Amino acid sequence: MAEEPSLPTLPPPLPRTEGRKRGRGADGPPSGLSSNSSDPAIFSSDDDPALDNYVHGRRKKRYVGTWYDQHPVSSDSADSALGEDMGPRLPKLPKRKFRRQADSGVYLGLEGSTDTDDGFELEPCAAKLPLPPRNPQPVVRKTISPEEEKLRGIVQHCVEEGTEAVDLADLGVESISDESLEPLQSLTLIPTVTEDVAFEHKDPRIMVFLSNNRLTKFPLGLINIENLTVLSLRANRLQVLPPCIASLKNLRTLNVAQNFLRYLPSELLELMKKGSNLQDLQLHPNPYYQPKERSYCEWGTAEYEQETFGSALESEIEGDWEGITTKLRSRTPVQYLDTAQNLRSSFSFSAAQSNTPSPPKELDQEDFWELAVPRESGNIDRQDRQTPVRSRRGPPSLLESAIRAAMSVSELEELPELYNDRIPHHLSRVMDKAIDITKEGGQRCSVCRRETWSPLTEWIEFRELRRTHVKRSLGGGRIESTIHITGNDDEVWVPFVRKGCSWRCIPHKSPSPSREQRERLLMIP
Amino acid sequence: MDTNGDSAASGKYITLVSRDGWEFVVLREATMISPTIKGMLRGQFAEAKTGRCTFPEISGVILEKVVEYFQFWYKNQDKEDVSDMDIPVELCLELLVAADYFGLDKQY
Repeated sequence: MAEEPSLPTLPPPLPRTEGRKRGRGADGPPSGLSSNSSDPAIFSSDDDPALDNYVHGRRKKRYVGTWYDQHPVSSDSADSALGEDMGPRLPKLPKRKFRRQADSGVYLGLEGSTDTDDGFELEPCAAKLPLPPRNPQPVVRKTISPEEEKLRGIVQHCVEEGTEAVDLADLGVESISDESLEPLQSLTLIPTVTEDVAFEHKDPRIMVFLSNNRLTKFPLGLINIENLTVLSLRANRLQVLPPCIASLKNLRTLNVAQNFLRYLPSELLELMKKGSNLQDLQLHPNPYYQPKERSYCEWGTAEYEQETFGSALESEIEGDWEGITTKLRSRTPVQYLDTAQNLRSSFSFSAAQSNTPSPPKELDQEDFWELAVPRESGNIDRQDRQTPVRSRRGPPSLLESAIRAAMSVSELEELPELYNDRIPHHLSRVMDKAIDITKEGGQRCSVCRRETWSPLTEWIEFRELRRTHVKRSLGGGRIESTIHITGNDDEVWVPFVRKGCSWRCIPHKSPSPSREQRERLLMIP
Repeated sequence: MDTNGDSAASGKYITLVSRDGWEFVVLREATMISPTIKGMLRGQFAEAKTGRCTFPEISGVILEKVVEYFQFWYKNQDKEDVSDMDIPVELCLELLVAADYFGLDKQY
């Protein structure tokens, strides 16, 4: 017993193949077949000569090292156990980094894993501004006023209870952030579960009452509430309505009475197209602009609208229908601005804007004769007019291009602090306005429908709004009854502002009618 | 066009010089979109005589973009529905100021 019985000798180390491939005998399947983690299926009908190799099977996995030094071969180290334990004799290879081989044709993910090729695609990132190094300031949290806190509570309650009528009146809120109204987007009705009543999914008809508050800006969070049917903003301090209000397609009732509105966005007219949902519109009282004089004429307004905006003539609606219709009555001259929003024309209406309510202002009007388009010349091909009426010439101004580039950044909120002290005051005013427009969801030129950040022309159309009720009579004919929205004669005409993106985007001007035409015009009742 | 008799003054090209010394030779006609340059090249100013305008406020990077816009405008002035010239976002604020300086704020 001089010596301990020696352990059985180790088998010679496995021939190491190049790289870190799983060790296989030389008689293993050809590498072409084994390079994939999962071999292609082979059927008995295949006359593949490699079939024999496939049947041959793999060499049994061998343990490495002495019996007392064996490492349990874990599943993920199955490949590497071989190399690791023979380490002392072999230089340790650096851990392989997972790297996608450009030429590996098919990427086969592990079974059950969710990552797909999509994960490798670069996400498009928004353009970034070179932000200056910021002072290490404590993160300023937006403080929520107690009024808004209360409002959030009510909203939350309504969402939980599934209440359609959201009563936010008399809270005294001055502004409502988008987050406060966000829960309303997901408001769903709690279905009544009773016997003999089939379950039915119903879209909620959300009604938001914001009357008697102190809002100075239209809460943009409302725009995203798709199922908003009733919106009351009565008795607030709104000065303008944003153009994006037109996206509230399900709106049935809109109340903007008792605000500081001087005009309405022309986009609101889109909600008044024949066949749309809007039925009830409360617009008065508001300090609207008023025309200096009123002259009635039923003549040629449809042609005017078509000439200017390229809109198709309104089609007749089949069947019963009730809603708001408008008729153009008059129009102001065009107010011209340059991109820096400096006034360039003698006529102006946006110059005197004030925060305090003031009596309605009277505006000049364009000569009636220029407004009306003679029927004979209004010989319009309907199909032709789907395209923009006229396009502007030449490239956009550099200033406009620069604004557009600035508006494409993702950090819109941080933009003002970037430029506030660095650019002249009149330019920062332009930028402020552009940011507002962007937040409101953009603005389009009324004439050529192009997106614009600094409208260069603006004019006001005075329109008469009427509630129209179309009924099909027994004989197959149509009975159309209309009533003015407000009985008061002074308030029949409502101003709508139109905006053009270039000095060429202005309403159509017809040649002055001849004497006979004028005489004929006056004959029309 | 200027009719000073001087070859530089009535030449087809003018030179714009930036703060950091970059010089851009531009078609005179293309710069006429800018009322500022138009004014500089009129009358008896030194710029009008030499056909060389120096802008000590504007860096070469920005002036290059402005010159690019001059060419862009010159090429596309009679076309309809021209899209924007490509503007790198990081330059937009400085270009905004430059556009204001050169009076490039109108759409014709």
